Amino acid sequence: MDLSEKTALLIDDLPEMRSAVRIQLADAGITKVDTARNVKEALDRMNEKRFDIIVCDYNLGQGADGQQLLELVRRRRLLSRSTVYLMITGETGYEQVATAAEYSPDDYLLKPFTSGVLKARLERILDKKAALAGIHRYMGEPAEFDKALAACEALLAANTRYAMDVLRLKGELLLDARRPGEALAVFEGVLAQRATPWATVGRARALLALGREDEARAVLQASIAAYPNYLAAYDTLAGLLGKSDPVAAQRVVERALQVAPSTHRQRTLGALALGNGDYPCAENAFRRAVEKDRTGFFKSHDDYAGLAKSCAEQGKTAEALLAVKEMSIHFRSSPDLAVRQAALEAQVQMKAGNAGAARAALEKALTLQQGNSLDASTMLEVAQACFAAGEAEQAKTILGQLAEDHHENEAVLNRAQAVFAAAGLKDEGAIFLEATKKRMIQLNNDAVALARAGELDQAIAMLREAADRLTNNAQVSINAALALLMHVQKNGVDGERIRLAHRYIEQARHANPEHAKLPEVMAYYRKLAPPGSPALPAL
Amino acid sequence: MPFDTLVATAIHDAKNSLNLLNAWLDEAERLCPSPPLAQARGTAAQVAAQLTELLVLYRETQGVLRLSIDDQNLPDFIDDLRQEIAPTARYARVGIEWRVAAAEAIGTWAFDGWQVRLVLVDALRNALRHATTHVGFELSAEPSGGLRFTVSDDGPGFPPALLAGGEARPGEEGSGLGLRFARLIAQKHATPDGRHGRLELNNDQGARLTLILP
Repeated sequence: MDLSEKTALLIDDLPEMRSAVRIQLADAGITKVDTARNVKEALDRMNEKRFDIIVCDYNLGQGADGQQLLELVRRRRLLSRSTVYLMITGETGYEQVATAAEYSPDDYLLKPFTSGVLKARLERILDKKAALAGIHRYMGEPAEFDKALAACEALLAANTRYAMDVLRLKGELLLDARRPGEALAVFEGVLAQRATPWATVGRARALLALGREDEARAVLQASIAAYPNYLAAYDTLAGLLGKSDPVAAQRVVERALQVAPSTHRQRTLGALALGNGDYPCAENAFRRAVEKDRTGFFKSHDDYAGLAKSCAEQGKTAEALLAVKEMSIHFRSSPDLAVRQAALEAQVQMKAGNAGAARAALEKALTLQQGNSLDASTMLEVAQACFAAGEAEQAKTILGQLAEDHHENEAVLNRAQAVFAAAGLKDEGAIFLEATKKRMIQLNNDAVALARAGELDQAIAMLREAADRLTNNAQVSINAALALLMHVQKNGVDGERIRLAHRYIEQARHANPEHAKLPEVMAYYRKLAPPGSPALPAL
Repeated sequence: MPFDTLVATAIHDAKNSLNLLNAWLDEAERLCPSPPLAQARGTAAQVAAQLTELLVLYRETQGVLRLSIDDQNLPDFIDDLRQEIAPTARYARVGIEWRVAAAEAIGTWAFDGWQVRLVLVDALRNALRHATTHVGFELSAEPSGGLRFTVSDDGPGFPPALLAGGEARPGEEGSGLGLRFARLIAQKHATPDGRHGRLELNNDQGARLTLILP
């Protein structure tokens, strides 16, 4: 295989290793090589351009590692499915991390290795990616399930050597397309031939989607016994137990953490332990999440909030306040940060019995939030602070606005419900949130019906009013932009409508950069916008 | 630091140093190939493998050994195996006969590729050392569901005590580390329906070691 046209990014903190691997890449025919010394430089390079091959050392110094980088770029979608990610490591034992992680590299190589081995591995991965490219091209955002599944069938009919990989993709696609019955048939078909962890967990996920929870639980428990290093089983089981038995879910996450360290899983453990009233465990988990990474790329406000709350619950007021204060050191100043800190401080002070200080902090939070478009976690924090201070009506107003902004996001709605429940308003919260969700769906449906009936001006007016009010609701913003673009397509280019469509797309991107309909509306905009119109960044 | 942890850490360091030594020998052999260098490289690789096996056994005693079972493409797995044994095989007195056509037919199987490769490379090294004229490596499907890897030679065969499932007698038949490791890795392979891997030893005009994975 000729690799001379391939571009590569080599990430290693040690200059001598960068030189050595660069020579080995050249021996393998790859000369278009950029290098990065750390996570920040790697992210900069990957933002600048797309690489065919990424070779990353597991140990990158500064407390961050190649596995964390891999997880970050996969989550941020900086890594296309066609790019090879090869991890190199001096540590035997990495294989445990590689197979255990949510995001595995395409392969890993134990140092020392020869350039011949490096070339052979790269060729092997590239061959597989080329074989599966026909499926991968339909797995973007949004996924085109029917086309992707048809590509799976075509490859299976051609008797590919990657049949198992194709069946795996087919099962996952069917699950994502909400066709769990067919997914179950695929996974059970594989398992009838051979035992393998991915099909076992796939089967459990399909059973779960079909509502057969008891069977799913039994399959997952057996999977963990046979494949103790396969973490997807722990995560699925913890998710299943989280609703009915959060204490058992906590135990499962604790076991998963014994298998492989993960900031993401420490955060999950902290949240479960906090909910379960196991404050020392929660404190420990959040502390680990905070201390694991001094580079700051991987941690979130939530980690410090969890740490502050678990300390406050144990009467460690000074440590709780320190955690709140330290947020200023580790995160860039922003309205979200300032509001979150004030809301957290209000809760810590209230817990410590300092009503005056709590009231002052809450007022600060409420003042700072005025006029700012805040993320869901910040809004939830303010609502919690309001409930803690006895300001239930204020809390409900905030949660109402949050539910309107995020009516399609079940995770946010569940968190809002948890805030209601913690304030002793479980039933009221459930009714309130459901009504809000229905109202928002109705608004969108009415507007879409108007647009389809040709009443574009009316639809635009309705959606613009909603989008200007609900700046964090990505779907409303996208629908407003779509209606404006439909008008342009029907009646010809109109600078004002193009400008407005751009504004609503940007608003949607800010609200939810991962919204499934964003690529569609962005493509529509690019098709209709004349030269000189405001540009949209690449997804 | 407790003594067993100290020993484990020292083994870990020694193993990494050996890997480094191996890299240098590799480079030296590339610049100036010679049988003694190849022998030295093979020996370094063997010692590194033994230390790795020791560490795995240590992890097991600590209750922290977990296999990483995942799909392995068998033709690729066999290629890697052949590449790994190549430096040792190149200067051995006998060649290896590879009967691996089943790899293409079976395609993929789930097992811990890294640990199983260690077991098989170790078995092949031993076979090359003891064989008179012939070493065989065979991959086949286990009729009751599973995978069979068989390494055979035409040497003196396993001592009776080992065939009876006993341990090697120190000094006479080596430390027995390789077999102990192989048994552990075989047994650790399991499926959700409760099947386990196993290791079979027998003598049939020489030694035959068979690793069966569920």
